[in-house]
Amino acid sequence: MNTIPTDIDAQPNRFGLPADAAAWLAVGVIMVVTLALRGQHAWLINYPKEWVIPVADWVNVFMAWFIEAFRWLFRAMSWLISWPMEAIRITLQWLPWSATISVIVTVAYIAGGWRLALFSALALFYMVVVGYWPESVATLSLVAMSVPLSLCLGLFVGIAAFTWRSVDRVVQPTLDLMQTFPTFAYLIPILFLFGFGPVVGLIASAIYAAPPMVRNVILGLQRVAPEIIESGQMSGTNSRQLLWLVRIPSAMPTIMIGVNQTIMAALSMVIIASVIGSSADIGWEVLSMMRKALFGQSFLAGIVIALLAMVMDRISRELAHRGPVDHDAQASWLTRYRYLVIAIGAGVGFVVLAQFFPALGAYPKEWTFYPAEQLNQGVNYVIREYGSTLDAIKNNTLFYFLLPVRVGLENTVKPFTWGFDLTSTFIAFYAAGVALAAVLAGWQWNWRASVVVIILGLIYYYGTNGIPWAAFIAMTVVLAYQVGGWQTGLLALLGFGFILTTGTWVPAMRSVYLCGAAVLISFIGGSALGVWAARSDRVSAFLRPINDTLQTMPLFVFLIPVIMFFQVGDFPALLAIIMYAIVPAIRYTEHGIRSIPAHIVEAARAQGCTKRQILWNVQLPLALPEIMMGLNQTIMFGMAMLVVAALVGTKGLGQAVYLALNTGNVGEGFIAGMSMALIAMIADRITQAWSSQKKAELGL
Amino acid sequence: MLRKNVRVLVASIVLLLIGLTVGLRVNAEVPESPDPIKLALHEWTGQHISSYIAGEVLKKMGYNVEYVTAAYLPSATGLSDGNLTGSLEVWDNNLGEFFPKLIEEGKVENIGDLGLDAGEGWLYPKHVAEMCPGLPAWDAFLGCADKFATAETLPNGRFLEYPADWGDRAAQLIKGEGLPFEAVPAGSEGALVAELKSSIQKKTPLVMMFWAPHWVLSTTETGWVDIPQDLLKKYSLEKPKVFKAVWPGTQDKWPAAYNFMKTFQVSNEIQEPLMDLVDNQGQDALTVTKKWVDENEDYWKPMVDKAMMAN
Repeated sequence: MNTIPTDIDAQPNRFGLPADAAAWLAVGVIMVVTLALRGQHAWLINYPKEWVIPVADWVNVFMAWFIEAFRWLFRAMSWLISWPMEAIRITLQWLPWSATISVIVTVAYIAGGWRLALFSALALFYMVVVGYWPESVATLSLVAMSVPLSLCLGLFVGIAAFTWRSVDRVVQPTLDLMQTFPTFAYLIPILFLFGFGPVVGLIASAIYAAPPMVRNVILGLQRVAPEIIESGQMSGTNSRQLLWLVRIPSAMPTIMIGVNQTIMAALSMVIIASVIGSSADIGWEVLSMMRKALFGQSFLAGIVIALLAMVMDRISRELAHRGPVDHDAQASWLTRYRYLVIAIGAGVGFVVLAQFFPALGAYPKEWTFYPAEQLNQGVNYVIREYGSTLDAIKNNTLFYFLLPVRVGLENTVKPFTWGFDLTSTFIAFYAAGVALAAVLAGWQWNWRASVVVIILGLIYYYGTNGIPWAAFIAMTVVLAYQVGGWQTGLLALLGFGFILTTGTWVPAMRSVYLCGAAVLISFIGGSALGVWAARSDRVSAFLRPINDTLQTMPLFVFLIPVIMFFQVGDFPALLAIIMYAIVPAIRYTEHGIRSIPAHIVEAARAQGCTKRQILWNVQLPLALPEIMMGLNQTIMFGMAMLVVAALVGTKGLGQAVYLALNTGNVGEGFIAGMSMALIAMIADRITQAWSSQKKAELGL
Repeated sequence: MLRKNVRVLVASIVLLLIGLTVGLRVNAEVPESPDPIKLALHEWTGQHISSYIAGEVLKKMGYNVEYVTAAYLPSATGLSDGNLTGSLEVWDNNLGEFFPKLIEEGKVENIGDLGLDAGEGWLYPKHVAEMCPGLPAWDAFLGCADKFATAETLPNGRFLEYPADWGDRAAQLIKGEGLPFEAVPAGSEGALVAELKSSIQKKTPLVMMFWAPHWVLSTTETGWVDIPQDLLKKYSLEKPKVFKAVWPGTQDKWPAAYNFMKTFQVSNEIQEPLMDLVDNQGQDALTVTKKWVDENEDYWKPMVDKAMMAN
């Protein structure tokens, strides 16, 4: 995870031994000693099974007891929730498609004018035309139920955390955990507690979607200007009135952003929860088609989800921007509620019309347009025509990048792969090359850059598999400590300690390798694209819809063509993760560069800087905090994709989570999920701290 | 006043409930309960057809039937607590551990074989026979291991195994017998099918664990490796059993329906042509099955009669 070091604070040739350099020296010693002894002492590489703490078993015992003891409570809740849920589902399914669409389009018009209305109308009509309307409605009714649930939950938890510090202290870390814990992993306990049924998807998405609401409620309430509160107090409000009539209305813009994020999160989770398959929704359709390896069909269904997400995103975002409408008290009832009247009128009108024209109620099958076969033919064409090129790409990536990072050069260099055997001359040349690069990096930037070069060189030679766990932990802890202080260091130590002692080290390293490789490529490639997009409006306009689609389309869809092109293995998994994780890298970089004040760039140009100099010496350093946040998000997105990538057949924590879901092993699922959450949190803390450090250096 | 009203309301509800249950007990005709019998629809077409045939016949018997989509393995929880009533095509070759455990504990009831003649083995697309002359003979296959080698499995041949959650019997055979192959788990059924399709398009080598009847086999030309009998036995790679599973309370709640599902049988000869209509000709599974049920009363009427007699 090397980044472009800034030239601003470059101090040449600092080869003395500052305090923190001593820590790296210690890491180096641990590394050398453990590597030297790994031949005699296997436990340095493979953590012995006898030393594993059986946390998974404890969790299973606890869960078995918990489920027995409280099943009645959760089942009662499940029963209670299922009534309004059924009611919404039946109503929406009974409504003619034309009526539902006209209501949504009216809302879109209120929120964003005729352009948004047109977009929504076309998007929704697509669902009708390809024949996925019933499935879309099933998804819609799940979201319609889970979003209000998340919003209420989020609002009250947010208010509680704002009001009482002690609540806040519990809530903050819980939110972190909820957002990094892989969603698949908590489907298992929910399934056991609430029983098989659509309620599982509902609860899972309500839990997953609440954190953004909580965060934005807290943030919004904190940001209310003191003057507003004072004026409220002067008008003689009691504390309850102050909260509901003054604070919350003033915090509304921020809260509405939370609403938008909650809707998006709920939708994405409803799709993931369809692996349980208890409601015939669009996510289930995508998954079923994926299981049959029908790319065209799953793609057409996937577009439905992407469009659904875009429509809901745009509408709720526009509503958030607009804020509350000031009603003209003088206006008549009809003018004030004209949109409501229009919406209801259009809805009722279409319900009546559908009685006379059945096509407005249930879209006729003969009228559907379903170009799935053409898409499949397209994929087949690419495979036939470019099969050998695709293989060459895959093999080269494997030989020169993935395999060395996983098992190290020492196990990769063979006549079949590199064309020759691993000789001591080669090793000597490699070592000399790394040493030279380290010296050059130190001379150009500082000793930290040399450390980075040496570590990368070691990983490439020994592989994530071959680096002894003690050395890896020492490395991470020192990095975390130096960037984020003792708290981050402690988190890294405890986190990797948990992973090691629960016996998930090997799959965890497999995940670190896959995710790390994907993040590296996503970050470099994404930043480059982001720079390009920042300099050209045309590129930016071209990339935006692609980014939107990649983020909202369920990624199951892309697994089929990726497997057909590249076969089951690490390479297709790598591609699948990159497709998802590259988006934040592009977005943050573009945003970071574009938000640099124009006068700074002008000043640089006036001093006679070339375009390249402006980029490397002005724009990139100034945008660095933002770019680092992009890296942060790239890592988070990559981790989130690991479980989905398990469907391609990767090993590692993602597979462990998926296995636990299908074998009903709550304990294993918890351990694997927790390990993923911990890795994500450690990476998050380190990159966040790094970003704010850079911000402080730049005086932002 | 209010309290009194509430008391009256509660009392009448209790009376109503007692009345309902007593009424049902007295009138033990089919349907014994108006509640819907929920049949699970899993991810593959053959299972849809088996379920629809049973479900449509149950409807003709007078039952209220609901089809519920349910992922294969998580559906076991549904069967164990009555949120699902029956899953009528369960294959024991890709079941993992959880489902059998629930059956053993009596939380899910196995009500016997479905009657499908299922097969399982090591499948290769037809063009592979040209790369490896002598196939499907076992020795010829072993001799070709290097032809299947890839960057990730070198020097061994690459063998595509079932997804990890379905068990790893092929991998155990490879390991146990020290075969020159390396098993790579596929991750999902989609991944297996995608590899097969891609291998046929690209004319690349492929050998993988697979089963029959499967819809993809009717559209592709393939062969099965002749694995020696003793090895099949040793690693339990024999014929998979396909059975029917229900919620343990089914027998008490809908006795006649339970008896019907227990006697219910579906053969390959019934399933395959219907599967072809759905998967290769794009017809709707429920529609074609309904039509079949209407046209083949001779087939299912005896099963229904038997179920009613036993009641």
